[in-house]
Amino acid sequence: MGAFDTPERPRILSGPTLLLVCLVLLFCIFGIRLWYLQIYKNDFYTSRAQENRTRQSTMFSPRGIIRDRGGVLLAENTPAYALALVREDCPDIPRTLDQVSRWTGQPRDELQKVFEIGRKRVKHFDEQVIVPNIPFELVALVEAHRQEWPGLTIAVRPKRSYTYGATLAHVLGYVARANEEELNNDPDLQLGDDVGKQGVELVLERRLRGTKGLEEFEVDASGRVLSSRVVTQPVMGEDLTLSLSLPLQEVATKALEGRTGSVVVLDADTGEILAQVSLPSYDPNEFVVGISHAKWKELLEDPEHPLQNRPVQSAYPPGSVFKLVLGGLALESGAVKPSTTVFCSGSYQLGKRVFRCWNKGGHGKTDFRKSLRESCDVYYYQLGERLGVNAISDYATRCGFGVKTGVELPHERSGNMPTAEWKLKRFGEKWQGGETLNFSIGQGYTQTTPLQVARFVAALVNGGRLLRPTLLLTETPDVVGELPMKAATRKLILDAMVATVEEERGTARLLRREGIRIGGKTGTAQVVKLMDKYEKKKTQEIPYKYRDHAWLAGFAEKDGRRYVAVAMVEHGGHGGSDAGPVVGAVFDAIFGVQQAQ
Amino acid sequence: MFDRRLVFHINWGLVALTAILFLIGVGNLYSASALRVASGIELDGYFNKQLLWGGAGLLVMAGIVLIDYRHFKAVSWPFFFLSLLLLLGVAVAGKTIYGAKRWLDLGFFNLQPTELTKIAVLILGARLMARMDGRLGWVNLGKVLLVGLVPAILVVKQPDLGSALNILLILGGMILFKGITAGVFKVLVVVLPVMLPFGWFFLHDYQKQRILTFLDPGNDPLGAGYHIIQSQIAIGSGGFWGKGFLQGTQSQLRFLPEKHTDFAFAVFGEEWGFFGAMILLILFCAFLYQVYIVSMEAKDDFGSYLAAGVFFYFFWQILINMGMVLGIMPVVGIPLPFISYGGSASVVNFCMIGVVLNVAMRRFVFKKA
Repeated sequence: MGAFDTPERPRILSGPTLLLVCLVLLFCIFGIRLWYLQIYKNDFYTSRAQENRTRQSTMFSPRGIIRDRGGVLLAENTPAYALALVREDCPDIPRTLDQVSRWTGQPRDELQKVFEIGRKRVKHFDEQVIVPNIPFELVALVEAHRQEWPGLTIAVRPKRSYTYGATLAHVLGYVARANEEELNNDPDLQLGDDVGKQGVELVLERRLRGTKGLEEFEVDASGRVLSSRVVTQPVMGEDLTLSLSLPLQEVATKALEGRTGSVVVLDADTGEILAQVSLPSYDPNEFVVGISHAKWKELLEDPEHPLQNRPVQSAYPPGSVFKLVLGGLALESGAVKPSTTVFCSGSYQLGKRVFRCWNKGGHGKTDFRKSLRESCDVYYYQLGERLGVNAISDYATRCGFGVKTGVELPHERSGNMPTAEWKLKRFGEKWQGGETLNFSIGQGYTQTTPLQVARFVAALVNGGRLLRPTLLLTETPDVVGELPMKAATRKLILDAMVATVEEERGTARLLRREGIRIGGKTGTAQVVKLMDKYEKKKTQEIPYKYRDHAWLAGFAEKDGRRYVAVAMVEHGGHGGSDAGPVVGAVFDAIFGVQQAQ
Repeated sequence: MFDRRLVFHINWGLVALTAILFLIGVGNLYSASALRVASGIELDGYFNKQLLWGGAGLLVMAGIVLIDYRHFKAVSWPFFFLSLLLLLGVAVAGKTIYGAKRWLDLGFFNLQPTELTKIAVLILGARLMARMDGRLGWVNLGKVLLVGLVPAILVVKQPDLGSALNILLILGGMILFKGITAGVFKVLVVVLPVMLPFGWFFLHDYQKQRILTFLDPGNDPLGAGYHIIQSQIAIGSGGFWGKGFLQGTQSQLRFLPEKHTDFAFAVFGEEWGFFGAMILLILFCAFLYQVYIVSMEAKDDFGSYLAAGVFFYFFWQILINMGMVLGIMPVVGIPLPFISYGGSASVVNFCMIGVVLNVAMRRFVFKKA
């Protein structure tokens, strides 16, 4: 080994030392590296390996279906096809979106926007819906070209379908694609999910919506599925049976057709809503598939506000219907006896102002029963003046006016029962004596919803129980309060209401039906005050928007079954003649009189 | 011809280590051959073939051990030229597999002349340097380098960068072992690093890509970076004790590429963990240490240089392959001795061990008094 014997050997790595150094380095470098990968970073790489071999996919759960009380399907799920993209499998996303744009005719930049929003929320190996609800021809076309466009798939998702469309639009509401805000507020929602936007679909969303499941697949490197297991089972949404009766709803809708307004039909003893009509209406199915911008604008700008659910979302002056409340207060407070008479000359003077009765000729001597039957204004002007605004307001509130009923419908309005303090606060003006008189006959600042009126009448009929109206079948009614009236008072009021239907000069005579005890109270709510120039004209001669609102609140009783129906026709003119037939048609349908007539 | 007493001088430690490493390799190949499919587990026959090749290698090794290594000197030049001829033959009439011309079809099997070349260069290099006195000056260095450069260029053309590099590295290691003069050393220390970037222009695009990918694997996770990333995931997810034999998900579910050959060590690391990988590393070091001992105890320079060449032959392969699998070196197609599947490579590995055993067992025969 001559190389190592050289005396002037400089310090250069060579010979045996070189080999030993190499050996030690080899051991140290790889020993440390192995420690780093396998011990120090073990958790990181273990989860990476796990991610490699497992894929998860969502198992969709169907939304609960909705039936009417007779078992008729009102809202169901039908399969719908959506064009979806799996990013992981798609080699060229821009080009694929180009093709989707060509197929569907949707603008490319809009698709890009949908894609960008979605990619934050959908995992790279999950189906991301790009175009929902595509027609079947497009499904066939895409399927035929599937090989050329890896990553594009047809996703089958249940689609909500409302068989009776506009007839039940305001009750059922509708579902539509969850928006950004809803997605942010609800972690259970995924992009492309439908969520209740209106009506029962919105209010009972939690019960109707199921819980999605999760399925996990073990896959190999090429994505082949080797095994699968269900991590969490999907839970179906709850099926609901509404208290609503589809045939009655259809009758009520037909009776009101062509006009703007509401019909509410309650079972007086349970508070169940049998019909809830708001006209004009819209087709909720259009929202499910994604309503067009033009159509949406049209609905929003329609002066008749078809999207508004009038029975709970519109508040109007109740007009003479309010006399039922005032009459109750008068008797309860002892302000009048049933036999106390007031002389109606056709008008009443307060200070310098003259308040007219609707009957210019006057009702003459008027007792309690006659005051309701013939809806004498003067009688109530005098009462109101004696009772005062705050007492009336307080009493009406206890009767359920000016407060939300708590029905399972969204955006309910509470209406308004004015007080002197309220006016001062609201307008900065003192309450005028004359305003109390207006209040007494349900005009002015008084605002009630048709559902509040129906609930009040139901309480009169059912023994004084103020119920929470409900759209669901209930075994035990939800009693939220007691009507502040003794049984005797209620009987007097109900008798007067029956007289309104049964007797000569009653304002609701056209409700009369053989064999059924029917009572009613009409109301005409002024839209504009003191429109002298229209005063003497007939309804048809007055411009539509100045015409009065027409109310009719009625009840019908036969064989122990008691129902309340309230019809409210916007700008309908007169309660008895305009709203009356609607209520009549409802009672006919309930008691099957139609055939007899 | 064969002295019976020589049997007692056989380095049994080296033989035992070789046997253990080879068997570990076969066992690991069995696992690397297992693929999970929906219906269960499917086996490729790699481990069977590896056993066959190992048997063949063992025969060749025995043959090499029988002939006194000093006779190698006589055939070193003819052997060298034969291997060059075969390399030229490949260039002209080679068989193309995976876009590379590396094989000569001999009818009953495909010969890879590159493997023969490694042995030829090693023997000729040892012979030349044994005749040279003292450290290598410029002239001697040039002579020795030529022995490596000529075949290396032919191999690069195939293209087989890994093997060309391997040939040059073996020779380079031997040169350093022999020693170079201070003057040469000083110049090389300055010039080599400067020359390195120029080598870039001689690389193929895919080779450049590999180096770039090594520097930043996340840049192209599904393309060139895939190998590096998946290999580290396999190793890293093994943890301390590993996932157990046949339990490696990365390898069985095909996430790990080239798991029979270049990345076989990743399969091992995944299934046997830090514990197993360290044992394998220690076995390799013990194995190299045995070769080192042989080099030390050889009775002449030629034997010493032969053993040193074999040392570097294994050392570089272990370094480059493990470095690649562990993600600290670029992807170069160099297998891990005994662990990676490869017919020719197995036979050559056994040949090399044969050479070392040969040197070891004849260390006393002509010992100077």
